[in-house]
Amino acid sequence: MFKKILIANRGEIALRILRACRELGVKTVAVHSEADARALHVRFADEAVCIGPPPASKSYLNVPAIISAAEITAADAIHPGYGFLSENAEFARICGKCGITFIGPTPEAMRAWGDKVTARKNAAKFGLPLLAGSAVLESAEHAIREAKRIGYPVILKASGGGGGRGMRIVRSDAEMPDAFASARREAETGFKNPDVYCEKFVERPRHIEFQAFADKHGGVWTLGERECSLQRRHQKVIEEAPSPAMTAKKRQEMAEVIRKAIRETGYTSLGTLEFLMDEKEELYFLEMNTRVQVEHPVTEMVTGLDLVSLQIRAAAGENIDLPDTRPWSFRGHAIECRINAEDPKTFAPWPGLITEWHPPGGTGLRVDSGVYGGWRVPPDYDSLLAKVIAHAPTRKEAIARMRRALDEFIVAGIRTNIALHKALLDDHEVAQGTMTTRTIERITGRG
Amino acid sequence: MSLDLDKLRALFDLLAEKDVAEFEHEEEGIRLRIARGARAPIAAPAALIPSPIHPVATPAAAALAETPPPSGDFVDVTSPFVGSFYRSPSPDAPAFVDVGSVVRAGQTLCIIEAMKLMNEIEAECAGTIAEIFAQNGKSVEYGQKLFRIKKA
Repeated sequence: MFKKILIANRGEIALRILRACRELGVKTVAVHSEADARALHVRFADEAVCIGPPPASKSYLNVPAIISAAEITAADAIHPGYGFLSENAEFARICGKCGITFIGPTPEAMRAWGDKVTARKNAAKFGLPLLAGSAVLESAEHAIREAKRIGYPVILKASGGGGGRGMRIVRSDAEMPDAFASARREAETGFKNPDVYCEKFVERPRHIEFQAFADKHGGVWTLGERECSLQRRHQKVIEEAPSPAMTAKKRQEMAEVIRKAIRETGYTSLGTLEFLMDEKEELYFLEMNTRVQVEHPVTEMVTGLDLVSLQIRAAAGENIDLPDTRPWSFRGHAIECRINAEDPKTFAPWPGLITEWHPPGGTGLRVDSGVYGGWRVPPDYDSLLAKVIAHAPTRKEAIARMRRALDEFIVAGIRTNIALHKALLDDHEVAQGTMTTRTIERITGRG
Repeated sequence: MSLDLDKLRALFDLLAEKDVAEFEHEEEGIRLRIARGARAPIAAPAALIPSPIHPVATPAAAALAETPPPSGDFVDVTSPFVGSFYRSPSPDAPAFVDVGSVVRAGQTLCIIEAMKLMNEIEAECAGTIAEIFAQNGKSVEYGQKLFRIKKA
Protein backbone atom coordinates (compact mmCIF):
# COMPACT_ATOMS: atom_id res chain seq x y z
CA MET A 1 0.00 0.00 0.00
CA PHE A 2 1.15 3.55 -0.61
CA LYS A 3 2.72 5.50 2.23
CA LYS A 4 1.42 8.87 1.16
CA ILE A 5 -1.15 9.98 -1.41
CA LEU A 6 -1.32 13.49 -2.79
CA ILE A 7 -4.91 14.53 -3.54
CA ALA A 8 -4.87 16.63 -6.71
CA ASN A 9 -8.38 17.98 -6.45
CA ARG A 10 -10.68 20.01 -4.23
CA GLY A 11 -14.13 20.16 -2.70
CA GLU A 12 -16.22 17.12 -1.93
CA ILE A 13 -14.18 14.62 -3.96
CA ALA A 14 -10.97 15.64 -2.24
CA LEU A 15 -12.61 14.93 1.10
CA ARG A 16 -13.96 11.64 -0.29
CA ILE A 17 -10.46 10.55 -1.30
CA LEU A 18 -9.03 11.68 2.04
CA ARG A 19 -11.56 9.53 3.88
CA ALA A 20 -10.59 6.44 1.88
CA CYS A 21 -6.90 7.15 2.53
CA ARG A 22 -7.53 7.53 6.25
CA GLU A 23 -9.31 4.20 6.44
CA LEU A 24 -6.46 2.53 4.57
CA GLY A 25 -3.88 4.02 6.92
CA VAL A 26 -2.30 6.10 4.16
CA LYS A 27 -0.95 9.60 4.86
CA THR A 28 -2.47 12.45 2.88
CA VAL A 29 -1.19 15.60 1.21
CA ALA A 30 -3.74 18.22 0.20
CA VAL A 31 -2.64 20.58 -2.54
CA HIS A 32 -4.83 23.65 -2.81
CA SER A 33 -5.18 27.09 -4.31
CA GLU A 34 -5.20 30.21 -2.14
CA ALA A 35 -9.01 30.19 -2.32
CA ASP A 36 -9.14 26.78 -0.63
CA ALA A 37 -6.66 27.38 2.21
CA ARG A 38 -9.45 26.79 4.76
CA ALA A 39 -11.13 23.93 2.92
CA LEU A 40 -12.22 20.99 5.04
CA HIS A 41 -9.96 18.41 3.43
CA VAL A 42 -6.99 20.80 3.68
CA ARG A 43 -7.58 21.09 7.41
CA PHE A 44 -7.93 17.32 7.82
CA ALA A 45 -4.96 16.31 5.66
CA ASP A 46 -1.66 15.33 7.24
CA GLU A 47 0.13 17.90 5.10
CA ALA A 48 -1.01 20.73 2.87
CA VAL A 49 0.77 22.66 0.15
CA CYS A 50 -0.52 25.82 -1.47
CA ILE A 51 0.15 25.43 -5.17
CA GLY A 52 -1.13 28.65 -6.67
CA PRO A 53 -3.66 31.48 -6.88
CA PRO A 54 -7.38 30.71 -7.29
CA PRO A 55 -7.58 30.23 -11.09
CA ALA A 56 -7.58 26.52 -11.89
CA SER A 57 -5.06 26.96 -14.70
CA LYS A 58 -2.56 28.26 -12.15
CA SER A 59 -3.38 25.77 -9.41
CA TYR A 60 -5.40 22.56 -9.88
CA LEU A 61 -4.32 22.30 -13.52
CA ASN A 62 -0.76 23.42 -12.78
CA VAL A 63 1.20 20.22 -13.44
CA PRO A 64 4.67 21.46 -12.37
CA ALA A 65 3.29 22.81 -9.09
CA ILE A 66 1.50 19.55 -8.33
CA ILE A 67 4.48 17.37 -9.20
CA SER A 68 6.75 19.67 -7.20
CA ALA A 69 4.42 19.36 -4.22
CA ALA A 70 4.56 15.57 -4.54
CA GLU A 71 8.35 15.71 -4.60
CA ILE A 72 8.79 17.93 -1.58
CA THR A 73 6.35 15.84 0.47
CA ALA A 74 7.70 12.53 -0.87
CA ALA A 75 4.22 11.39 -1.88
CA ASP A 76 4.33 8.08 -3.71
CA ALA A 77 0.94 8.35 -5.42
CA ILE A 78 -1.44 11.00 -6.74
CA HIS A 79 -5.21 10.66 -6.83
CA PRO A 80 -6.62 13.02 -9.48
CA GLY A 81 -10.30 12.77 -8.49
CA TYR A 82 -12.64 13.79 -11.34
CA GLY A 83 -12.37 16.76 -13.70
CA PHE A 84 -9.10 18.75 -13.66
CA LEU A 85 -6.23 16.39 -14.58
CA SER A 86 -8.07 13.11 -14.02
CA GLU A 87 -8.40 12.31 -17.74
CA ASN A 88 -5.14 13.93 -18.81
CA ALA A 89 -2.98 11.13 -20.20
CA GLU A 90 0.03 13.44 -20.39
CA PHE A 91 -0.22 14.16 -16.66
CA ALA A 92 -0.47 10.43 -15.96
CA ARG A 93 2.64 9.89 -18.08
CA ILE A 94 4.55 12.61 -16.22
CA CYS A 95 3.62 11.05 -12.87
CA GLY A 96 5.02 7.74 -14.09
CA LYS A 97 8.25 9.38 -15.24
CA CYS A 98 8.66 11.01 -11.83
CA GLY A 99 8.21 7.70 -10.05
CA ILE A 100 4.77 8.64 -8.70
CA THR A 101 1.84 6.24 -9.15
CA PHE A 102 -1.11 7.87 -10.90
CA ILE A 103 -4.25 6.36 -9.36
CA GLY A 104 -6.16 5.55 -12.49
CA PRO A 105 -5.61 3.69 -15.76
CA THR A 106 -2.37 3.73 -17.75
CA PRO A 107 -1.75 6.70 -20.09
CA GLU A 108 -2.21 4.34 -23.05
CA ALA A 109 -5.59 3.10 -21.80
CA MET A 110 -6.67 6.71 -21.12
CA ARG A 111 -5.74 7.70 -24.66
CA ALA A 112 -7.39 4.67 -26.23
CA TRP A 113 -10.71 5.10 -24.45
CA GLY A 114 -10.60 8.88 -24.05
CA ASP A 115 -10.40 9.55 -27.76
CA LYS A 116 -13.90 9.39 -29.28
CA VAL A 117 -12.77 7.74 -32.54
CA THR A 118 -10.66 4.97 -30.99
CA ALA A 119 -13.25 4.44 -28.26
CA ARG A 120 -15.90 3.81 -30.90
CA LYS A 121 -13.50 1.43 -32.70
CA ASN A 122 -12.95 -0.47 -29.46
CA ALA A 123 -16.67 -0.53 -28.81
CA ALA A 124 -17.41 -1.90 -32.27
CA LYS A 125 -14.62 -4.48 -32.01
CA PHE A 126 -16.08 -5.88 -28.80
CA GLY A 127 -19.67 -5.83 -29.88
CA LEU A 128 -20.81 -2.80 -27.93
CA PRO A 129 -23.73 -1.34 -29.83
CA LEU A 130 -23.07 2.00 -31.53
CA LEU A 131 -25.38 4.62 -32.88
CA ALA A 132 -25.42 4.35 -36.66
CA GLY A 133 -23.12 7.02 -38.00
CA SER A 134 -21.17 8.12 -41.02
CA ALA A 135 -17.60 9.02 -41.78
CA VAL A 136 -16.71 12.63 -42.58
CA LEU A 137 -19.27 14.05 -45.04
CA GLU A 138 -17.93 15.37 -48.33
CA SER A 139 -21.00 17.26 -49.52
CA ALA A 140 -24.66 17.93 -48.84
CA GLU A 141 -25.55 15.14 -51.30
CA HIS A 142 -23.29 12.72 -49.45
CA ALA A 143 -24.95 13.83 -46.22
CA ILE A 144 -28.40 13.15 -47.66
CA ARG A 145 -27.34 9.65 -48.82
CA GLU A 146 -25.95 8.84 -45.38
CA ALA A 147 -29.01 10.26 -43.63
CA LYS A 148 -31.23 8.05 -45.77
CA ARG A 149 -29.14 5.00 -44.88
CA ILE A 150 -29.19 5.81 -41.17
CA GLY A 151 -32.77 7.02 -41.07
CA TYR A 152 -34.05 10.46 -40.04
CA PRO A 153 -33.80 12.24 -37.72
CA VAL A 154 -30.03 12.58 -37.76
CA ILE A 155 -27.66 14.98 -36.04
CA LEU A 156 -24.67 16.59 -37.75
CA LYS A 157 -21.65 16.78 -35.45
CA ALA A 158 -18.20 18.31 -35.75
CA SER A 159 -15.26 15.88 -35.83
CA GLY A 160 -12.97 18.42 -34.25
CA GLY A 161 -14.81 19.07 -31.03
CA GLY A 162 -17.98 19.00 -29.04
CA GLY A 163 -19.86 21.19 -26.59
CA GLY A 164 -22.76 21.71 -28.97
CA ARG A 165 -20.72 23.54 -31.59
CA GLY A 166 -21.19 22.44 -35.18
CA MET A 167 -24.26 20.42 -34.21
CA ARG A 168 -27.46 20.48 -36.23
CA ILE A 169 -30.51 18.27 -35.96
CA VAL A 170 -31.85 17.38 -39.41
CA ARG A 171 -35.25 15.78 -39.92
CA SER A 172 -35.57 15.67 -43.71
CA ASP A 173 -33.66 15.91 -47.01
CA ALA A 174 -35.02 19.44 -47.50
CA GLU A 175 -33.34 20.68 -44.32
CA MET A 176 -29.97 19.10 -45.11
CA PRO A 177 -28.19 21.56 -47.47
CA ASP A 178 -28.59 24.58 -45.14
CA ALA A 179 -27.86 22.54 -42.02
CA PHE A 180 -24.78 21.02 -43.62
CA ALA A 181 -23.39 24.40 -44.66
CA SER A 182 -23.99 26.12 -41.34
CA ALA A 183 -22.64 23.17 -39.31
CA ARG A 184 -19.43 23.29 -41.34
CA ARG A 185 -19.13 27.05 -40.86
CA GLU A 186 -19.57 26.73 -37.10
CA ALA A 187 -17.08 23.85 -36.90
CA GLU A 188 -14.52 25.87 -38.85
CA THR A 189 -14.84 28.85 -36.49
CA GLY A 190 -14.92 26.71 -33.39
CA PHE A 191 -12.20 24.16 -34.09
CA LYS A 192 -10.44 25.34 -37.29
CA ASN A 193 -11.76 22.12 -38.79
CA PRO A 194 -14.94 22.18 -40.87
CA ASP A 195 -15.36 18.37 -40.97
CA VAL A 196 -18.74 17.10 -39.88
CA TYR A 197 -20.23 13.62 -39.76
CA CYS A 198 -23.74 12.52 -39.00
CA GLU A 199 -25.26 10.17 -36.50
CA LYS A 200 -28.71 8.83 -35.68
CA PHE A 201 -30.51 11.34 -33.47
CA VAL A 202 -32.53 10.00 -30.60
CA GLU A 203 -35.32 12.42 -29.64
CA ARG A 204 -35.85 11.47 -26.04
CA PRO A 205 -32.85 9.47 -24.90
CA ARG A 206 -32.15 8.12 -21.47
CA HIS A 207 -28.61 8.27 -20.19
CA ILE A 208 -27.46 4.94 -18.74
CA GLU A 209 -23.90 4.26 -17.67
CA PHE A 210 -22.12 1.14 -16.47
CA GLN A 211 -19.50 1.05 -13.73
CA ALA A 212 -16.46 -1.08 -14.52
CA PHE A 213 -13.47 -1.85 -12.34
CA ALA A 214 -10.28 -3.80 -12.95
CA ASP A 215 -7.19 -4.49 -10.85
CA LYS A 216 -3.65 -5.05 -12.15
CA HIS A 217 -3.93 -8.82 -11.91
CA GLY A 218 -6.54 -9.51 -14.55
CA GLY A 219 -9.53 -9.15 -12.24
CA VAL A 220 -12.38 -7.38 -14.06
CA TRP A 221 -15.81 -6.57 -12.64
CA THR A 222 -18.87 -4.68 -13.74
CA LEU A 223 -20.77 -3.18 -10.84
CA GLY A 224 -24.09 -2.43 -12.43
CA GLU A 225 -25.49 0.66 -14.01
CA ARG A 226 -26.63 4.13 -13.06
CA GLU A 227 -29.29 6.24 -14.74
CA CYS A 228 -28.39 9.90 -15.17
CA SER A 229 -31.14 11.13 -17.49
CA LEU A 230 -32.02 14.16 -15.37
CA GLN A 231 -29.58 16.63 -16.89
CA ARG A 232 -29.54 20.28 -17.65
CA ARG A 233 -27.27 21.45 -20.49
CA HIS A 234 -25.37 18.18 -20.36
CA GLN A 235 -24.73 18.54 -16.60
CA LYS A 236 -26.19 15.76 -14.48
CA VAL A 237 -28.57 16.88 -11.75
CA ILE A 238 -30.00 13.66 -10.28
CA GLU A 239 -28.60 10.14 -10.63
CA GLU A 240 -29.86 6.77 -9.44
CA ALA A 241 -29.00 3.09 -9.25
CA PRO A 242 -30.29 0.79 -10.55
CA SER A 243 -31.95 2.23 -13.66
CA PRO A 244 -35.73 1.77 -13.75
CA ALA A 245 -35.33 1.07 -17.49
CA MET A 246 -32.95 -1.85 -17.13
CA THR A 247 -33.85 -5.52 -16.93
CA ALA A 248 -31.72 -8.19 -15.29
CA LYS A 249 -31.28 -9.84 -18.68
CA LYS A 250 -30.06 -6.67 -20.38
CA ARG A 251 -27.78 -5.94 -17.45
CA GLN A 252 -26.23 -9.39 -17.79
CA GLU A 253 -25.70 -9.03 -21.54
CA MET A 254 -24.05 -5.61 -21.18
CA ALA A 255 -21.90 -6.85 -18.31
CA GLU A 256 -20.44 -9.67 -20.44
CA VAL A 257 -19.65 -7.43 -23.37
CA ILE A 258 -18.19 -4.66 -21.21
CA ARG A 259 -16.06 -7.04 -19.16
CA LYS A 260 -14.53 -8.43 -22.36
CA ALA A 261 -13.78 -4.95 -23.73
CA ILE A 262 -12.14 -3.89 -20.44
CA ARG A 263 -10.10 -7.05 -20.13
CA GLU A 264 -8.87 -7.19 -23.69
CA THR A 265 -7.88 -3.54 -23.91
CA GLY A 266 -5.85 -3.93 -20.71
CA TYR A 267 -7.86 -1.29 -18.91
CA THR A 268 -7.33 -1.03 -15.15
CA SER A 269 -8.85 1.04 -12.30
CA LEU A 270 -12.35 2.51 -12.33
CA GLY A 271 -14.06 3.37 -15.58
CA THR A 272 -17.58 4.23 -16.66
CA LEU A 273 -19.09 3.43 -20.05
CA GLU A 274 -21.86 5.83 -21.02
CA PHE A 275 -24.77 4.81 -23.20
CA LEU A 276 -27.83 6.35 -24.71
CA MET A 277 -31.08 4.41 -24.58
CA ASP A 278 -33.67 5.10 -27.28
CA GLU A 279 -37.45 4.84 -27.12
CA LYS A 280 -37.18 1.17 -28.10
CA GLU A 281 -34.98 0.60 -25.03
CA GLU A 282 -31.95 -0.12 -27.21
CA LEU A 283 -28.59 0.94 -25.80
CA TYR A 284 -25.89 2.72 -27.81
CA PHE A 285 -22.33 3.38 -26.65
CA LEU A 286 -21.45 7.06 -26.38
CA GLU A 287 -18.11 7.34 -24.61
CA MET A 288 -16.03 6.13 -21.69
CA ASN A 289 -14.90 8.14 -18.68
CA THR A 290 -11.55 6.86 -17.48
CA ARG A 291 -11.87 8.06 -13.88
CA VAL A 292 -14.06 7.94 -10.77
CA GLN A 293 -17.39 9.68 -11.38
CA VAL A 294 -19.23 12.27 -9.33
CA GLU A 295 -22.20 9.91 -8.91
CA HIS A 296 -20.21 6.91 -7.71
CA PRO A 297 -22.00 6.96 -4.31
CA VAL A 298 -25.25 5.54 -5.69
CA THR A 299 -23.34 2.46 -6.87
CA GLU A 300 -21.65 2.25 -3.47
CA MET A 301 -24.97 2.30 -1.65
CA VAL A 302 -26.55 -0.51 -3.66
CA THR A 303 -23.43 -2.70 -3.78
CA GLY A 304 -22.01 -2.00 -0.34
CA LEU A 305 -18.57 -1.38 -1.88
CA ASP A 306 -16.10 1.48 -1.33
CA LEU A 307 -15.14 2.33 -4.91
CA VAL A 308 -12.44 4.88 -4.09
CA SER A 309 -10.82 2.49 -1.67
CA LEU A 310 -10.91 -0.28 -4.30
CA GLN A 311 -9.39 2.12 -6.80
CA ILE A 312 -6.50 2.93 -4.45
CA ARG A 313 -5.93 -0.70 -3.53
CA ALA A 314 -5.85 -1.74 -7.19
CA ALA A 315 -3.41 1.06 -8.00
CA ALA A 316 -1.17 -0.15 -5.19
CA GLY A 317 -1.02 -3.52 -6.93
CA GLU A 318 -3.31 -5.43 -4.61
CA ASN A 319 -4.89 -8.61 -5.93
CA ILE A 320 -8.52 -7.66 -5.38
CA ASP A 321 -10.99 -10.28 -4.27
CA LEU A 322 -14.56 -9.26 -5.03
CA PRO A 323 -17.44 -11.68 -5.12
CA ASP A 324 -18.42 -12.86 -8.58
CA THR A 325 -20.79 -10.13 -9.70
CA ARG A 326 -22.22 -12.04 -12.65
CA PRO A 327 -25.51 -12.99 -11.05
CA TRP A 328 -25.66 -9.38 -9.91
CA SER A 329 -28.42 -8.12 -7.64
CA PHE A 330 -28.52 -4.79 -5.92
CA ARG A 331 -29.49 -4.01 -2.39
CA GLY A 332 -32.33 -1.55 -2.58
CA HIS A 333 -32.34 1.67 -4.60
CA ALA A 334 -30.22 4.79 -4.30
CA ILE A 335 -30.77 8.34 -5.56
CA GLU A 336 -28.30 11.23 -5.56
CA CYS A 337 -29.16 14.92 -5.78
CA ARG A 338 -26.38 17.33 -6.70
CA ILE A 339 -26.79 20.45 -4.57
CA ASN A 340 -25.25 23.41 -6.37
CA ALA A 341 -24.62 27.01 -5.34
CA GLU A 342 -26.94 28.53 -7.94
CA ASP A 343 -30.23 30.31 -8.27
CA PRO A 344 -32.94 27.63 -8.55
CA LYS A 345 -34.80 29.55 -11.27
CA THR A 346 -32.16 31.32 -13.36
CA PHE A 347 -29.35 28.83 -12.63
CA ALA A 348 -26.97 31.76 -12.18
CA PRO A 349 -24.01 30.63 -10.05
CA TRP A 350 -24.18 31.95 -6.48
CA PRO A 351 -20.76 32.10 -4.78
CA GLY A 352 -20.49 33.76 -1.36
CA LEU A 353 -20.37 33.19 2.37
CA ILE A 354 -22.41 30.29 3.76
CA THR A 355 -23.83 31.63 7.02
CA GLU A 356 -25.81 28.54 7.99
CA TRP A 357 -25.31 24.95 6.89
CA HIS A 358 -27.16 22.03 8.37
CA PRO A 359 -27.32 19.03 6.04
CA PRO A 360 -29.88 16.22 6.50
CA GLY A 361 -29.21 12.88 8.16
CA GLY A 362 -31.07 9.88 9.45
CA THR A 363 -31.66 6.37 8.20
CA GLY A 364 -30.37 5.64 4.73
CA LEU A 365 -29.03 9.16 4.18
CA ARG A 366 -25.52 10.14 3.15
CA VAL A 367 -24.14 13.60 2.42
CA ASP A 368 -20.81 14.03 0.62
CA SER A 369 -19.72 17.63 0.95
CA GLY A 370 -16.64 19.73 1.54
CA VAL A 371 -18.44 22.85 2.69
CA TYR A 372 -19.45 24.06 6.16
CA GLY A 373 -21.08 27.03 7.90
CA GLY A 374 -18.59 29.89 7.60
CA TRP A 375 -17.10 28.62 4.33
CA ARG A 376 -16.87 31.14 1.54
CA VAL A 377 -17.79 29.52 -1.79
CA PRO A 378 -15.24 30.80 -4.30
CA PRO A 379 -16.34 31.89 -7.80
CA ASP A 380 -13.45 30.15 -9.51
CA TYR A 381 -14.69 26.57 -9.63
CA ASP A 382 -17.82 24.52 -10.32
CA SER A 383 -20.85 25.18 -8.16
CA LEU A 384 -21.22 21.74 -6.55
CA LEU A 385 -21.73 22.13 -2.79
CA ALA A 386 -22.90 18.71 -1.74
CA LYS A 387 -24.22 15.37 -2.93
CA VAL A 388 -27.21 14.08 -0.99
CA ILE A 389 -27.71 10.36 -1.39
CA ALA A 390 -30.83 8.52 -0.22
CA HIS A 391 -30.85 4.74 -0.01
CA ALA A 392 -33.96 2.65 0.68
CA PRO A 393 -35.36 -0.81 -0.12
CA THR A 394 -37.44 0.45 -3.05
CA ARG A 395 -37.30 3.36 -5.51
CA LYS A 396 -40.54 4.80 -4.15
CA GLU A 397 -39.15 4.81 -0.60
CA ALA A 398 -35.86 6.31 -1.80
CA ILE A 399 -37.74 9.20 -3.40
CA ALA A 400 -39.76 9.74 -0.21
CA ARG A 401 -36.57 9.64 1.82
CA MET A 402 -34.86 12.18 -0.45
CA ARG A 403 -37.89 14.48 -0.25
CA ARG A 404 -37.78 14.27 3.53
CA ALA A 405 -34.05 14.95 3.51
CA LEU A 406 -34.29 18.00 1.26
CA ASP A 407 -37.03 19.42 3.50
CA GLU A 408 -34.67 19.45 6.48
CA PHE A 409 -31.63 20.82 4.61
CA ILE A 410 -30.83 24.27 6.02
CA VAL A 411 -28.64 26.61 3.96
CA ALA A 412 -28.35 30.37 4.37
CA GLY A 413 -26.13 33.04 2.86
CA ILE A 414 -26.12 31.63 -0.67
CA ARG A 415 -28.74 30.24 -3.05
CA THR A 416 -28.97 26.57 -3.92
CA ASN A 417 -30.91 24.40 -6.35
CA ILE A 418 -32.70 22.51 -3.57
CA ALA A 419 -36.04 23.88 -4.81
CA LEU A 420 -35.31 22.47 -8.29
CA HIS A 421 -34.65 19.03 -6.81
CA LYS A 422 -37.94 19.13 -4.92
CA ALA A 423 -39.79 20.04 -8.12
CA LEU A 424 -38.06 17.19 -9.98
CA LEU A 425 -38.95 14.61 -7.34
CA ASP A 426 -42.60 15.69 -7.61
CA ASP A 427 -42.68 15.30 -11.40
CA HIS A 428 -44.76 12.43 -12.80
CA GLU A 429 -42.04 11.25 -15.22
CA VAL A 430 -39.58 11.01 -12.36
CA ALA A 431 -42.09 9.27 -10.09
CA GLN A 432 -42.89 6.74 -12.81
CA GLY A 433 -39.24 6.27 -13.75
CA THR A 434 -39.82 7.29 -17.38
CA MET A 435 -37.66 10.43 -17.41
CA THR A 436 -35.38 11.33 -20.32
CA THR A 437 -32.67 13.90 -20.95
CA ARG A 438 -35.45 16.30 -22.03
CA THR A 439 -37.32 16.14 -18.71
CA ILE A 440 -35.63 19.05 -16.93
CA GLU A 441 -36.07 21.23 -20.01
CA ARG A 442 -39.81 20.59 -19.87
CA ILE A 443 -40.08 21.23 -16.13
CA THR A 444 -38.09 24.44 -16.13
CA GLY A 445 -39.60 25.59 -19.41
CA ARG A 446 -36.17 26.46 -20.66
CA GLY A 447 -33.01 24.77 -22.02
CA MET B 1 27.21 28.22 10.68
CA SER B 2 30.39 28.56 8.70
CA LEU B 3 33.28 26.32 9.61
CA ASP B 4 35.77 28.55 11.37
CA LEU B 5 38.90 26.64 12.37
CA ASP B 6 39.37 28.70 15.52
CA LYS B 7 35.82 27.99 16.57
CA LEU B 8 36.31 24.29 15.77
CA ARG B 9 39.46 24.15 17.85
CA ALA B 10 37.63 25.74 20.76
CA LEU B 11 34.81 23.26 20.30
CA PHE B 12 37.17 20.27 20.38
CA ASP B 13 38.83 21.59 23.50
CA LEU B 14 35.46 21.95 25.13
CA LEU B 15 34.41 18.45 24.17
CA ALA B 16 37.65 17.03 25.48
CA GLU B 17 37.42 19.03 28.69
CA LYS B 18 33.92 17.77 29.35
CA ASP B 19 34.81 14.30 28.08
CA VAL B 20 32.04 14.25 25.52
CA ALA B 21 32.35 11.15 23.31
CA GLU B 22 30.06 12.21 20.49
CA PHE B 23 28.73 15.56 19.34
CA GLU B 24 26.32 16.37 16.54
CA HIS B 25 25.04 19.74 15.37
CA GLU B 26 22.88 20.75 12.41
CA GLU B 27 22.31 24.29 11.21
CA GLU B 28 21.36 25.79 7.87
CA GLY B 29 21.85 22.65 5.89
CA ILE B 30 25.22 21.76 7.36
CA ARG B 31 25.61 18.85 9.74
CA LEU B 32 28.67 18.43 11.90
CA ARG B 33 29.39 15.22 13.73
CA ILE B 34 32.35 14.66 15.97
CA ALA B 35 33.15 11.30 17.52
CA ARG B 36 36.04 11.26 19.93
CA GLY B 37 38.07 8.05 19.82
CA ALA B 38 40.80 7.11 22.32
CA ARG B 39 43.26 9.39 20.55
CA ALA B 40 41.80 10.96 17.40
CA PRO B 41 39.36 13.72 18.36
CA ILE B 42 37.89 14.21 14.92
CA ALA B 43 35.97 11.86 12.71
CA ALA B 44 33.65 12.02 9.71
CA PRO B 45 34.91 14.80 7.47
CA ALA B 46 31.95 13.79 5.31
CA ALA B 47 29.78 15.50 7.90
CA LEU B 48 30.41 18.73 6.04
CA ILE B 49 27.99 17.66 3.29
CA PRO B 50 24.74 19.58 3.57
CA SER B 51 22.10 17.37 5.15
CA PRO B 52 19.57 15.73 2.84
CA ILE B 53 16.34 17.63 2.50
CA HIS B 54 13.58 16.33 4.71
CA PRO B 55 10.92 18.72 3.64
CA VAL B 56 7.58 18.71 5.35
CA ALA B 57 5.42 21.49 4.11
CA THR B 58 3.76 23.27 6.98
CA PRO B 59 -0.04 22.94 6.74
CA ALA B 60 -1.41 26.17 5.37
CA ALA B 61 -3.79 26.43 8.29
CA ALA B 62 -0.94 26.34 10.79
CA ALA B 63 1.16 29.11 9.28
CA LEU B 64 3.99 30.38 11.43
CA ALA B 65 3.08 33.41 13.46
CA GLU B 66 4.31 36.31 11.39
CA THR B 67 5.11 39.84 12.32
CA PRO B 68 2.85 42.09 10.28
CA PRO B 69 4.71 44.59 8.13
CA PRO B 70 5.60 47.60 10.27
CA SER B 71 4.59 51.02 9.07
CA GLY B 72 6.86 52.38 6.41
CA ASP B 73 7.66 51.17 2.98
CA PHE B 74 8.06 47.44 3.27
CA VAL B 75 7.34 44.80 0.69
CA ASP B 76 7.21 41.03 1.24
CA VAL B 77 8.68 38.73 -1.38
CA THR B 78 6.55 35.60 -1.69
CA SER B 79 7.30 32.34 -3.43
CA PRO B 80 5.88 32.01 -6.95
CA PHE B 81 6.48 28.25 -6.93
CA VAL B 82 6.23 25.13 -4.86
CA GLY B 83 9.75 23.86 -4.21
CA SER B 84 12.82 23.93 -2.04
CA PHE B 85 14.29 27.24 -0.89
CA TYR B 86 18.04 27.81 -1.04
CA ARG B 87 19.84 30.92 0.15
CA SER B 88 23.01 30.33 -1.85
CA PRO B 89 23.81 29.26 -5.42
CA SER B 90 25.52 26.13 -4.13
CA PRO B 91 25.99 24.43 -0.75
CA ASP B 92 29.43 25.84 -0.03
CA ALA B 93 28.88 29.28 -1.55
CA PRO B 94 27.90 32.28 0.54
CA ALA B 95 24.23 33.28 0.68
CA PHE B 96 22.92 35.61 -2.04
CA VAL B 97 21.73 38.06 0.62
CA ASP B 98 21.61 38.40 4.39
CA VAL B 99 19.62 40.61 6.70
CA GLY B 100 20.94 44.09 6.09
CA SER B 101 22.04 43.43 2.50
CA VAL B 102 21.32 46.28 0.15
CA VAL B 103 19.67 44.99 -3.02
CA ARG B 104 18.82 46.56 -6.35
CA ALA B 105 15.80 45.72 -8.48
CA GLY B 106 16.43 42.51 -10.38
CA GLN B 107 19.05 41.21 -7.98
CA THR B 108 18.88 37.50 -7.21
CA LEU B 109 17.71 36.87 -3.64
CA CYS B 110 17.46 33.10 -3.56
CA ILE B 111 16.86 29.94 -5.55
CA ILE B 112 13.69 27.89 -5.49
CA GLU B 113 14.26 24.42 -6.81
CA ALA B 114 11.20 22.87 -8.45
CA MET B 115 11.31 19.61 -10.36
CA LYS B 116 15.09 19.61 -10.62
CA LEU B 117 15.13 23.13 -12.08
CA MET B 118 16.79 25.98 -10.20
CA ASN B 119 14.70 29.14 -10.42
CA GLU B 120 16.33 32.39 -9.36
CA ILE B 121 13.99 34.70 -7.49
CA GLU B 122 14.74 38.37 -8.03
CA ALA B 123 13.96 41.46 -6.02
CA GLU B 124 11.23 43.55 -7.66
CA CYS B 125 12.48 46.75 -6.09
CA ALA B 126 15.61 48.24 -4.61
CA GLY B 127 16.04 48.30 -0.84
CA THR B 128 17.46 46.54 2.21
CA ILE B 129 16.69 43.03 3.42
CA ALA B 130 14.81 43.54 6.68
CA GLU B 131 13.84 39.95 7.45
CA ILE B 132 14.33 36.45 6.05
CA PHE B 133 11.32 34.21 6.73
CA ALA B 134 12.09 31.01 4.88
CA GLN B 135 14.63 28.49 6.04
CA ASN B 136 17.47 27.31 3.85
CA GLY B 137 16.87 23.86 2.42
CA LYS B 138 13.25 23.73 3.56
CA SER B 139 10.32 23.41 1.19
CA VAL B 140 8.08 26.36 0.43
CA GLU B 141 4.60 26.57 -1.02
CA TYR B 142 3.04 29.05 -3.42
CA GLY B 143 2.60 32.42 -1.76
CA GLN B 144 4.81 31.65 1.22
CA LYS B 145 6.71 34.67 2.56
CA LEU B 146 10.44 34.54 1.81
CA PHE B 147 11.92 38.01 2.49
CA ARG B 148 10.85 41.40 3.73
CA ILE B 149 12.50 44.29 1.94
CA LYS B 150 12.57 47.83 3.22
CA LYS B 151 12.16 49.88 0.09
CA ALA B 152 14.95 52.25 -0.79
